[in-house]
Amino acid sequence: MNKHIKRSWAEPYKMKMVELLKMTTSAQRKKALQQAGYNTFLLRSEDVYIDLLTDSGTSAMSDRQWAGMMMGDEAYAGSWNFYHLEEVVKNIYGYKYVIPTHQGRGAENILSKILIKKGDVIPGNMYFTTTRLHQELAGGRFEDIIIDEAHDPDNEFPFKGNADLNKLQRLIKKKGAKKIPYISIATSVNMAGGQPISMKNLKELRVLTQKHGIRIIHDMTRVAENAYFIQQREKGYQNKSVKEIVKEICSYTDGATMSAKKDALVNIGGFLAVNDWDVFEEARNMVVVYEGLHTYGGLAGRDMEAMAIGIGESISDDHIRARVGQVIYLGEKMLDLGIPIVKPIGGHGVFVNAKGFLPHIPQNDFPAQTLAAEIYLDSGVRTMERGIVSAGRKSNGENYYPKLELVRFTIPRRVYTQAHMDVIAESAGRVYEHCEKIKGLKMVYEPKYLRFFQARFEKLN
Amino acid sequence: MNTIIEPFKIKSVEPIYFTSREERIAVLEKAHYNPFLIKSKDVLIDLLTDSGTSAMSSNQWAGMMQGDESYAGSNSFFRFEETIKNITGMPIVIPTHQGRAAEKILFSILGGRGKYIVSNTLFDTTRANIEFSGAEGVDLLCEEGKHPTISAPFKGNMDVASLKKFIEKKGAENIPLCIITITNNSGGGQPVSMQNIKDVKAICRENNIPLFIDACRFAENCFFIKLREKGYADKPVPEIAKELFSYADGCTMSAKKDAFANIGGFLAMHDEDLALKCRNLLIITEGFPTYGGLAGRDLEAIAIGLNEVMEEDYLRYRIRSIEYLTNKLINAGVPVMQPAGGHAVYIDSKQFLPHILLEQYPGQALVAALYIEGGIRTVEIGSLMFGKYDANGKLIPAQMELVRLAIPRRVYTQSHIDYVAEVIIEVFTNRNEIKGLKIIEETPVLRHFTAKLKPV
Repeated sequence: MNKHIKRSWAEPYKMKMVELLKMTTSAQRKKALQQAGYNTFLLRSEDVYIDLLTDSGTSAMSDRQWAGMMMGDEAYAGSWNFYHLEEVVKNIYGYKYVIPTHQGRGAENILSKILIKKGDVIPGNMYFTTTRLHQELAGGRFEDIIIDEAHDPDNEFPFKGNADLNKLQRLIKKKGAKKIPYISIATSVNMAGGQPISMKNLKELRVLTQKHGIRIIHDMTRVAENAYFIQQREKGYQNKSVKEIVKEICSYTDGATMSAKKDALVNIGGFLAVNDWDVFEEARNMVVVYEGLHTYGGLAGRDMEAMAIGIGESISDDHIRARVGQVIYLGEKMLDLGIPIVKPIGGHGVFVNAKGFLPHIPQNDFPAQTLAAEIYLDSGVRTMERGIVSAGRKSNGENYYPKLELVRFTIPRRVYTQAHMDVIAESAGRVYEHCEKIKGLKMVYEPKYLRFFQARFEKLN
Repeated sequence: MNTIIEPFKIKSVEPIYFTSREERIAVLEKAHYNPFLIKSKDVLIDLLTDSGTSAMSSNQWAGMMQGDESYAGSNSFFRFEETIKNITGMPIVIPTHQGRAAEKILFSILGGRGKYIVSNTLFDTTRANIEFSGAEGVDLLCEEGKHPTISAPFKGNMDVASLKKFIEKKGAENIPLCIITITNNSGGGQPVSMQNIKDVKAICRENNIPLFIDACRFAENCFFIKLREKGYADKPVPEIAKELFSYADGCTMSAKKDAFANIGGFLAMHDEDLALKCRNLLIITEGFPTYGGLAGRDLEAIAIGLNEVMEEDYLRYRIRSIEYLTNKLINAGVPVMQPAGGHAVYIDSKQFLPHILLEQYPGQALVAALYIEGGIRTVEIGSLMFGKYDANGKLIPAQMELVRLAIPRRVYTQSHIDYVAEVIIEVFTNRNEIKGLKIIEETPVLRHFTAKLKPV
């Protein structure tokens, strides 16, 4: 199957506009890295050659999306771009009510404030940084119910994004269904390495939650990528289109938060979608305070238009095949070089296992943060830590120690070419050759929330 | 010369659609007599707000094409930061997706139960954000600002004597912030004088209260200072702006007004500790500090717009065109706020519709009449927006009952404005036929956005 993907991932588009890149020297990168406190988030983008920090908001829009940008209706109330977006969300995803937000975390903030009461527990298939924080700030606590396979980077189970129904059942028994306002289900689980959840698992979750009257809220930012894996790997879906599979996934959930900056191919935007009128009404009142009136939600009209068009493009089989094909191409190149990566290769990036890459660096010395810094130093490729720094601290002040200590090579959509992928793999290979000489880091500044964004480090001697 | 020539020409147009009177009556009924619930395609001339509705320049669109969409350390951010540092002299710049997000962050940190935030006049979302934090918002507007027909050069000024008294009464320790809105939007787009800002600053300094500027329309305000205040006639607007900001400890701005942007805002300040707290909150609800929930291209558009707005040819045209509509209405006897404000014409609906009780929202009734007569969408700034109920459920009306005709920047021509004047004068002639409205559904916060009404 992989061989087949390799041959056929040629892009279903050509380039219409380009952005020039600057090459840097090793000395320049060394200086830039020191100034950034060994945190790739703090690098200036002009010092970066290939930017794999995130696939969020970094996509290249299509000429049709740009044409839509020119059709933005910037009326404060009742913009027709809003009605277009509303229609697209209803048609493609099947949710009844839509509220635009300036990005995904805006939707998470509002949803958490509405549904979560103090003392509630929110089970989910692995945490995500901002999602968990909003749950905690609303008075809830996140409980991981992802299957154990997800925590093992070498396990090749095809649906490592699945929730463990036994874990969920135990939790319901222990806490009572009343203390569980909803379960938070991500498609294409980011922190597990872009791993999909199966349709079978979703159906089972639906049956179980329905029995207990618990909602399922869908973190749908990469739902199309997940749908593609279902098409490729799950029995009975080979002949279904990604579009059909996306709609079926959504049908097993009660609402969703969406950062449209990923799958939906836009640079800004998101939404909250629900099927429940009461939740919608409350959200509509709250969105005015945080985001903007409910027919623009803090977005320019043109951005709603680009989102509506992008959603349509995101569920095309040809698009997704090329998208995931490119990621798999990079992952296989790295595997050929013997580099330890999370398997199977995920949908939006290649996740390098830093514990395997730098086994001599203990987790307290930040192996993933160190590796991201070393990759940048070697080639100007910017990646992101997804390990102990991202995991942060528990409410009692102790560090979380995640089993996965990863460096994420996230591939922006429709931006980089095959030659760029080759450069990236070669750089990772070069760093791997001298990995035993690399030393860890110590944290010298730690912010209160979401520390990975702004923390600063120094090299250990 | 009487003709107001725009210092620009049209590069791209957007069609507008004509509707019949019957169609508009049906639309308004369906929208429950609330202009916020009308679809924009059913509006001929949209004067609902000047916020986010500007036409960008070709330079701004070129900037849009150069947006650096990197999640962290975007070049567009550094250009944005540099521009705002230059204009305000404030070293710390934090982007937000729009102005209310900047306010939300600031008030979450400084507000809270038992605190008072004082201002000349707070706007609707600003007030809502303050109250959301548990604090109370207090308007201390100068006396002349409270009377629509009294003409005075700086009707947006804060009442310095009341400020002193208020601080003595409540104690400076309970007042974490003084915020001056320039120009004063809820009070008729009236400017604040440099002298007033200096005087307020002196009191704030004495009492250790930080002074912030709500800078949405700072360039319009600075141009009024140039026109009306002694000693500023020969100073360039950027210099006036720099002086004005030099008296402040920080500012919030919705870039959807005086930066000609369709989306965006920011916080700027001197205090590094406060900035650290702001950035911590920013990351939770807005985004990483180098994009703050905006696309890179929007940061570019704002940076370019902020420099364009301070050009005097533009500001002269802008202020003159508001004056043009105001004077047309005054000549026809329509009661409007005087003198003309910076971004909008404000009709005094108490005088326009003296036969409608305040409990029947004369402002909203006029808004409905203007839409039916000419497809013009306006907004009430009166008891629907700011009214409250007492313990017996009786309406406590707002200080003024205004209808705002906000003029989007660089969007409508003189011919559009002539049409607007004709419609208003027509409605004025038949004003006795207009009936009041009553609320049939409302929310506790910011009710005017979603309230449903029907004729009495």
